[in-house]
Amino acid sequence: MTLDTPRKLSLLRDPVDLLFRGVARTAGITVLAIMSLVGLFLAYRATQALQVAGWSFFTEQSWEPDAGKFGIAAVLVGTILIALVAIVIAVPLATGTALYITDYAPRRIKQTLIGLVDLMAAIPSVVYGLWGFFFLQGNITDISRWISHTFGWIPIFAVDGADPNDPLASSTVYTSSTFIAGIVVALMIAPIITSIMREVFSQAPVGEREGALALGSTKWGMIRSVVIPFGLGGMIGGTMLGLGRALGETIAVYMIISPVFVIQPHILQAGASSVSSLIALKYGEATEFGTSALMAAGLALFIMTLIINFAASAIVARSRSGASS
Amino acid sequence: MTRARRRLLPAILALAITALVIVPTTSAAAVDYVPISGAGSSWSSNAIDQWRRNVQQYGMRINYANTGSSDGRNQYKAGTVDFAVSEIPYGIKDGGVVDTPPSRAYSYIPIVAGGTAFMYNLQAGGKQITNLRLSGSVITKIFTAKITSWDDPAIAADNPGLALPKRKIVPIVRSDGSGSTAQFTTWMSKQYQADWDAYCVRAGRSAPCGVTSNYPTIPGTGFIAQPNSQGVSGYVAQKANIGTITYVEYSYALKTGYPVAKVLNSAGYYVEPTASNVAVGLLGAKINTTATSSSYLTQILDGVYANPDKRTYPLSSYSYMIIPTSTQNNFTEDKGKTLGAFASYFLCEGQQQAEVLGYSPLPINLVKAGLEQIAKIPGVGTSTVNIAKCNNPTFSKDGTNTLAAKAPQPSECDKKGATQCTDGTGGSKTDTPVTTPAVTPGTSTGGTTTGGTTTGGTTTTGGATASDGSSAVNPGTPDAATGGTSTGTVGTATGGTTTGLTAGPVSCEADTGVCANVVALPVEVAATSSWGVPQSLMTGAVVLLIGLVVVPPLIAQLTSRRRRRG
Repeated sequence: MTLDTPRKLSLLRDPVDLLFRGVARTAGITVLAIMSLVGLFLAYRATQALQVAGWSFFTEQSWEPDAGKFGIAAVLVGTILIALVAIVIAVPLATGTALYITDYAPRRIKQTLIGLVDLMAAIPSVVYGLWGFFFLQGNITDISRWISHTFGWIPIFAVDGADPNDPLASSTVYTSSTFIAGIVVALMIAPIITSIMREVFSQAPVGEREGALALGSTKWGMIRSVVIPFGLGGMIGGTMLGLGRALGETIAVYMIISPVFVIQPHILQAGASSVSSLIALKYGEATEFGTSALMAAGLALFIMTLIINFAASAIVARSRSGASS
Repeated sequence: MTRARRRLLPAILALAITALVIVPTTSAAAVDYVPISGAGSSWSSNAIDQWRRNVQQYGMRINYANTGSSDGRNQYKAGTVDFAVSEIPYGIKDGGVVDTPPSRAYSYIPIVAGGTAFMYNLQAGGKQITNLRLSGSVITKIFTAKITSWDDPAIAADNPGLALPKRKIVPIVRSDGSGSTAQFTTWMSKQYQADWDAYCVRAGRSAPCGVTSNYPTIPGTGFIAQPNSQGVSGYVAQKANIGTITYVEYSYALKTGYPVAKVLNSAGYYVEPTASNVAVGLLGAKINTTATSSSYLTQILDGVYANPDKRTYPLSSYSYMIIPTSTQNNFTEDKGKTLGAFASYFLCEGQQQAEVLGYSPLPINLVKAGLEQIAKIPGVGTSTVNIAKCNNPTFSKDGTNTLAAKAPQPSECDKKGATQCTDGTGGSKTDTPVTTPAVTPGTSTGGTTTGGTTTGGTTTTGGATASDGSSAVNPGTPDAATGGTSTGTVGTATGGTTTGLTAGPVSCEADTGVCANVVALPVEVAATSSWGVPQSLMTGAVVLLIGLVVVPPLIAQLTSRRRRRG
């Protein structure tokens, strides 16, 4: 019995088509290559420090590379705390903004609002940093104080060295904290989360929306039963993207925090840390070995951000809104 | 006709504008300067930034990033900048690691002198204190977390005329590698080694600690670390950050309008880091004069700390520029020409502005030596600087330092002892009235300061009740906040701003200058009781409220789900 061999398909491509394919493919591969080269470079430069530090690199809190005592336990925890504060503030803000723009805002101000949100994303982070340092910090301490007095029994809101019964107590214990850095970072990631959420919310099928309304649902009921379930994947994906950005935010955090190299779980208390601000602070004056240690810290942040972004894209791809887009 | 004119007008305008645009560029291009870039010290950056702006008119473009001395030295070493500015030279051991000199050729030139000042933000009774005095050991103890409250007896001993509040001291230190930190820790390690080493060991470093560019901090001590001179001075200058103190160049205090502490010198006087006091202090500096040495012109400051002149500011020092002496690392002769011209400018004319900016001009020997060093920069032509025309306030015919010779003697109220001057310091020139401590110095109960609070002529134009000088303080009115500890300082009304005020404590708004009487009543804060009935009831109420909000929708949802299933 002779096997049927499939007919060979020959495809004749237009030269313009070929050219475009080539350009697109090169661009795609270049991005991949650059990313992996950055990773390789960090790994290569970090080996010197990682060989010295060994596993203690993940458990040591202090950062004195020249004395052989350094690790990312404190800075990594600090980074995650700042990012979490930012997410907790930015996500409700962004969800509200996105829903208002897609479903509530009158048509004439819709475009203005979209433009304003995009403008927020265009403000350089050093401006946010200056604003946070010179304006926000002086005005937010009362809120920090209130939170710490009222909810101080929850460990993360406790503030060491604050005495509510001392009328002359200085407000400085509430400055330069994870909380303030987190607020500033929240303002920087809110626009990116807002635009992603706005995009998925606006794609919610009109038929289902109208169906919900026709069945007697209120607007809020329609949003709750149609828009949010539809856009959930996009919401999670946008949040994760924002988280990725929050983890890497450098200069605004650098300007606000007072770096400490111990695990500092009290978010309202002066003293915070983050990997990227550590690098910004130390790279200029580091010795060769110190630079290697900084590269190792950078590698840890790089890998963490990579994982978060992959997780985000996986979630977005599985969701209904993500699959259609 | 009109149409033709209409067409002609824009043409003429365009021509004029092009002419305006072209002419200055061509004139500036007469002397060709290529842009150069540098990095380093933020201690001296206020002076450098002013000089950079000044030489723009000659077509020089100097880029300078004030990223800290350590960063400047490292960037110079790596060859990424054409020059660096640093307070300390290469080769100093810091934390067990020697800062190795760069492989590219270099020299030092002194650029400006100045005092590392202690800028603070402190209030008593709603009024800014501007005349604080501190001795060296107290400063060291503050920055090594030994003295933690402003009402510490050691600070009170330095300030017999001030009743300081029971506030926490919040020292602000630099978080980046800094020449200011290096200058300050050099001074502490030389003068108060025991205190400094003990602190270093607590912070996890090994003793003897010596000089360091990275200030060690101990978590939980309330120290705040900020990057850059702007960072620390900006933090102290925030109105709400009362009780803070930092070490920073004097110019930052002038710029932000905050006072600096007068520091006790070895002659027993408290002095401010003014240009003349710094100049006097630096007469004691030992300069390396071996021209062949790699650290030629660098300073040894032990003689400044111990300078017996009573006008000496003990934390005076010079700042240095590190200049390339060969064409390595992209440094060209063209760049050398720009750098040489810029250096000649600031060594000569630029020094005139030092005093206004909060620095102190260089003396003639260092200017001469610096100008000779400039000749080593590749590409610099023969020097055309006429030293006689520099108008440097320190120059004289016989080679002595005029600024130091003419420096005013400190007033007798600045002498260590029972008296204290009232005049403001740094950027805050308003007076702070003092109490006459003759009655019972050291005690701070309300009754002991009776009648002695006004200071002579300061209340000449004051209100009717305040001008008689005797009723400014009502000794029976204790301050609300501290229960009488700071009564003495708040009671006095200064100058004409207090018109129409009655006797009693006065509070003045820092921004508007509007003063108002403070009516204060002693407040007793009940001791916090432990868990009691009210607390239980409050918790119950909160639980009820949360339950009311959360439970009904939950039940509704549950039932609806069940119904759907059914």
